[in-house]
Amino acid sequence: MTQDAAIDLFVENAEKAGARVVRVSSAHELNEVLSGMLEGATAVYSPGVTPTEKGLAIPPDRSTEDYVNASACVEEVSAAVAETGSLVCSSQGGKPVQAGLLPGHHIAIVAAEHVYEDLDRFFAALGDAPPTNITLETGPSRTADIELTLTIGVHGPDRLSIIVV
Amino acid sequence: MSLPTGSIPFRENAAQAIRNEALRAAMRNATGVFAVKRADAVSAVPLEEWRDKASETRLQVLDHLADYVDRFAKSAVRAGATVHRAKDAETAREIVACLLKDHGIQKAVKSKSMISEEIHLNDYLEKQGVTVVETDLGEYIIQIAREHPSHIIVPAIHKDRRQVGKLFAEKLGCAYTEDPAALTKIARAKLRQEFLSAEAGISGANFAVADSGSLVIFTNEGNGRMCTTLPRLHIAVTSIEKIIPSVADLPKFIRLLPRSATGQVVTTYLSMITGTRKAGEATGAKDLHIVLLDNGRSSIVAGEYREMLKCIRCGACLNACPVYQTVGGHAYGSTYPGPMGIILTVLLEGMERAHTLLDATTLCGACADVCPVKVPLPRLLRRLREQRTEMGLTPTMERQGMAGFGMAAKSPTLFGAGQQAARLLWPLARKIGVKGTLARMPIPAEQPFRRRIS
Repeated sequence: MTQDAAIDLFVENAEKAGARVVRVSSAHELNEVLSGMLEGATAVYSPGVTPTEKGLAIPPDRSTEDYVNASACVEEVSAAVAETGSLVCSSQGGKPVQAGLLPGHHIAIVAAEHVYEDLDRFFAALGDAPPTNITLETGPSRTADIELTLTIGVHGPDRLSIIVV
Repeated sequence: MSLPTGSIPFRENAAQAIRNEALRAAMRNATGVFAVKRADAVSAVPLEEWRDKASETRLQVLDHLADYVDRFAKSAVRAGATVHRAKDAETAREIVACLLKDHGIQKAVKSKSMISEEIHLNDYLEKQGVTVVETDLGEYIIQIAREHPSHIIVPAIHKDRRQVGKLFAEKLGCAYTEDPAALTKIARAKLRQEFLSAEAGISGANFAVADSGSLVIFTNEGNGRMCTTLPRLHIAVTSIEKIIPSVADLPKFIRLLPRSATGQVVTTYLSMITGTRKAGEATGAKDLHIVLLDNGRSSIVAGEYREMLKCIRCGACLNACPVYQTVGGHAYGSTYPGPMGIILTVLLEGMERAHTLLDATTLCGACADVCPVKVPLPRLLRRLREQRTEMGLTPTMERQGMAGFGMAAKSPTLFGAGQQAARLLWPLARKIGVKGTLARMPIPAEQPFRRRIS
């Protein structure tokens, strides 16, 4: 499978799982999409630790360090898996994995070259000395515990947006 | 029929369950939906190949279980965890209670774990003055209703939305609603506060990876991720057979567990926790304690029922079982219901107490068809039934009836006489007005089948 095909498959499967996926090809485009997604967000948490994120136009007046009370979290995640449409959130590099979980809207940025074709390739690359926490996140938080009726947004975010750069 | 004292009253429970219309409607709905979803999820994948591989890996671990336990413990310690070994339920409960006491913790949030049900952890901790808050929505419902799970994946499967609405209004003091989305929001708000203030998180593990010392937890709601990343102390209680060799083995189980359980390609969150928070990290408990529970596994693995330990607790055999579909999980009176539950309960709690559950199977084999790791459930059930007969625990009526039938089946004369007697006695029996099973028996044919074809 070519990398392009893997990215297509990732987009398809992530959308099937209930995420909104947008593909962008420039920093300008990224910021434009992002500001659209952040409309209505009152407090935005963004751990600005990667080169991609440093250039982000997070509105300074709405930016917060307090992810517990943020309404949105914008972050670059470490990888994605096409087979399942999953994002890979990792504690490596000092990221709080829980930050993507608490706000109602999780906006994840993933670099196209970090999309793995399948679970085997991802876990083989991860190896037997993984960071403290690796979470595969696939779609928004959900439950079907009452009469198997699907309900979105239990403990985690009820909206998941993904930007593939 | 006389039961040895203390055996599970399955027949009585089942008779009661069958008369409960609301329960039967809920069970029909739920097991039906699951069966369709699972079938959809496995229709376009090389399922047989996956099952064979997964079964092989599980057997590989069981063949050297003690070695794998050591390997896992070593890796987990290297990653910063403290590993405790508990030979039985009582020891495991005490370890958890002591850990909480040593840390001065009186309240813990908990992510769904069947092992904690097996060792009755919540009751024990509550008696020690610790409040345990279940955070999986289904478990939370069960906890405030003060009940036990009736399904290993969907604990509140036996309740309909009206029952949940009434329960929330009564116990949480909110306005009555029967809208699942509104009820979920109410629970979210209540539990969010608990997560943020909790000093300890208790979880189980779906898998434990020997080479990395990682715990792997599958959830849809996000509660597993919260319980294991927010509090400073994380206690995981898991049983030794959950171990898989390496991280590279994970994909085969990720592909099978959610598909078999809920028909999902993967659960929303799949958390892999490896040790404690390292320098420069902002996630993870500062203190991670892993309690490895044996509770009979070491002896099961050495015996003829070892393949039961391949089970990955997906619940597919429950949903496929015509008995479970009809009576629901509570009738089994055990932690684990359904086909896997019958076998595990007999093995864990003993034949004396659990042999009555061996009546809860038709041996139709539907469970074996859906099992993702090819546990030979019907063969194990049949073998346990034989063992029950050998131990003299079969109900007297059944034993005498089978002995009589065996004698008659060997002699055409005797068999024919029996058929003749049934035909002659039937009108008489109806006149007297027989009750129960006898009244529901089919009316004997005028001419036996073997006469009609000869």
